[in-house]
Amino acid sequence: MAGTVAVKPSTVKRGGRWSPWLFAIPALAVYVAFLVYPALSSLWFSLTNWDGLSATYKFVGLDNYFKLPHDPVVVSAVQNNLIWTVVTIAVPTVIGLLLAIALNGKVHGKPILRLIFYTPAVLPLVSIASIWGWLYNPQYGAINSFLRMIGLDGLAQAWLGQDSTALWAVMVPAIWLRTGFPMLLYLAALQGIPNELYEAATVDGATKWQQFWHVTMPSLRPAHYIVLALSLIDSFKVFDMIYAMTYGGPGTSTQVMGTWMYFNVFQYYQAGYGTAIAVVITLVAVAVGIPYVRSQTREAS
Amino acid sequence: MSNFTRRGFLGLTSAAALGAGLSACTGGGASTGGGATQSGSNELRLFTYEGDETIGLLKAQIKKFDEQNGTTTTVDSLPGSGAAVYPDKLRTELLGGKGPDIWRIWGGQIGAPFAKAKQALDLSPYYSKYGWDSKISTTAIGGMTFDGVKTGVPFVSLGIGAWYNKSLFAKAGVSGPPKTYAELEALNDKLVAVGVTPCGLGGKYGWDIMRLFEYLLEHTAGPDLHDKLLTGAESWDRPEVVEAFTLFKKWQDKKWLPQGALGLDPADIEPGYVQGKTAYTITGPWTEAAAILTAKKSPAGFGNFELPTDKTPARHSGFVEGYMINAKTGNADKAAALLDFILQPAAQKAMQISASTVKGAEPDPKALPLSAEWSTKYGGNPFYTIQDQAFPKKQADQYFSVQSDLLQGSVQPDAAAKKMQEIVSAWAKS
Repeated sequence: MAGTVAVKPSTVKRGGRWSPWLFAIPALAVYVAFLVYPALSSLWFSLTNWDGLSATYKFVGLDNYFKLPHDPVVVSAVQNNLIWTVVTIAVPTVIGLLLAIALNGKVHGKPILRLIFYTPAVLPLVSIASIWGWLYNPQYGAINSFLRMIGLDGLAQAWLGQDSTALWAVMVPAIWLRTGFPMLLYLAALQGIPNELYEAATVDGATKWQQFWHVTMPSLRPAHYIVLALSLIDSFKVFDMIYAMTYGGPGTSTQVMGTWMYFNVFQYYQAGYGTAIAVVITLVAVAVGIPYVRSQTREAS
Repeated sequence: MSNFTRRGFLGLTSAAALGAGLSACTGGGASTGGGATQSGSNELRLFTYEGDETIGLLKAQIKKFDEQNGTTTTVDSLPGSGAAVYPDKLRTELLGGKGPDIWRIWGGQIGAPFAKAKQALDLSPYYSKYGWDSKISTTAIGGMTFDGVKTGVPFVSLGIGAWYNKSLFAKAGVSGPPKTYAELEALNDKLVAVGVTPCGLGGKYGWDIMRLFEYLLEHTAGPDLHDKLLTGAESWDRPEVVEAFTLFKKWQDKKWLPQGALGLDPADIEPGYVQGKTAYTITGPWTEAAAILTAKKSPAGFGNFELPTDKTPARHSGFVEGYMINAKTGNADKAAALLDFILQPAAQKAMQISASTVKGAEPDPKALPLSAEWSTKYGGNPFYTIQDQAFPKKQADQYFSVQSDLLQGSVQPDAAAKKMQEIVSAWAKS
């Protein structure tokens, strides 16, 4: 037995203090190459007058950022983003919650109903845009035809063809396709609430409404966080639905920051200016996301 | 202000971030680009926006060329988007270092950025080598010449006119096309009276409904003034422009356009005249193959006419489309040889090009009777540059925005004319 040395397992450190970094390198490399590097190069291009096509450009400092508040389309795009964000977070969340509560009860054909409500979320967006484009057709569309059929001719509109209704008309399919997701999350959360809580509340004489506010809602807190955070991200990055349904029009009435960034970078050959818009969108999204991340960190700890 | 090169920046930062190995891939000016073929290679890639109805004909001719020359040419297409999306895709491919060797593009301000950025090759040597100057219409070559450099070779020169449904005209008691603007208005009234929407145009993207306004401007301003307005040489803040905007609004208010035209997709509403939903549309000869023949309708049920301007000379809107060669291709000679091959009259006819720029490749009256009729009757008339090619995209979109505001009643014709002057003068100064 002489010569054997007992070594405590805890003192073995293969690779020393660098070993965690070695494991992290593959992920870090991908992160740096595909996120950090493009983000930094975008930041750089936002300080130039690059047209997005030529080999050369000039450094213009913060000129692109100073131009932003003087661009009337940026002003209306910010307003549209705010309206879009509030409506497409609030409405699908509330409808999703109500549907989840309804489907959590004793309802016949629950799986079929879940499928029906969730199906819009998996449809290709271009199909959704085409379907709703036809529904909104002023002359032959189902919506106006229905309104005329029930005698409400006065309400038949050129929904996508006028500034006053175009943005709202695009929001309807956005709500339609986004309701299924919160519904599923809430449904999963509702099924996790112990029945004993409701039984205790019933024994204490709580009404259904009181049970909802004092048992259901507090129990859904983690689900609320997830739903709101993901909805916020979805709303901020709105681009595809507007692009496919109205192309930012009529005129520029449905432009949002995402589409206006795209138009400048890809269509107007003003990549420097368009990238400045992209940087602003990112900063706002990060600023809005901070409270969520902090709250999640607190939850975890 | 310092001058930078994009490749230099990419190379420098890549080197800093990822080391010399990666920088060697992205930096340096000698790269041919990932997608452009290398010198000596027998592979070519052509990017176009041909639709399903014609892409097969193009591919057949390219296959023929490949067989004769030992090349392999890949054809990629992005159909249906019009000038709204295709240039973006092309630009992205070029920026990503993966550009096609040859691409199809519109002339005027849509093709101009690719020439200005020197992404497209100067084709002057090939014009001399293949004698394109004498084989192709001079006016069309002008549409693909940018700052005096022949950066593209045109193969189609398209005129815009009215394409109509004969049975709906007959329903309104009209026997033939109008000869004057007053007759056109009277025709519209008769069509509305029998419950037919006269002119099928859609305002999504702006360019389709613009075709009506540019016609009205030609009618009120006349050729000389119209041309000057397009270059910013004359002010838009003038009675002729106000009158054109007034007429434009009148077309909507009198229901000569479809209800809610501003929100309609041109792809949905343009074929309306073939489907019997509208009496006519304002479009070019491609509609014969794309809308009439695709719907398996007989061309005999349809007709076309040049929109009457009441001005001399009679003109219509028009534009050219052609091909460019990637400045970074390693295969410029073979790419040019391919272009020369598909510019031959026989190839143009085989591809059923309805408005070829190539002498001797006029449309076949048997295959495309209406296109042949347009070519015979109006093909020789002068044309003014279609306005979405006359202005850069940004100014064109601002222009569409003014038209949109006017049709919605939020801007009056005189204010619209003033706004247009602001847009055009700002562009002309830049």
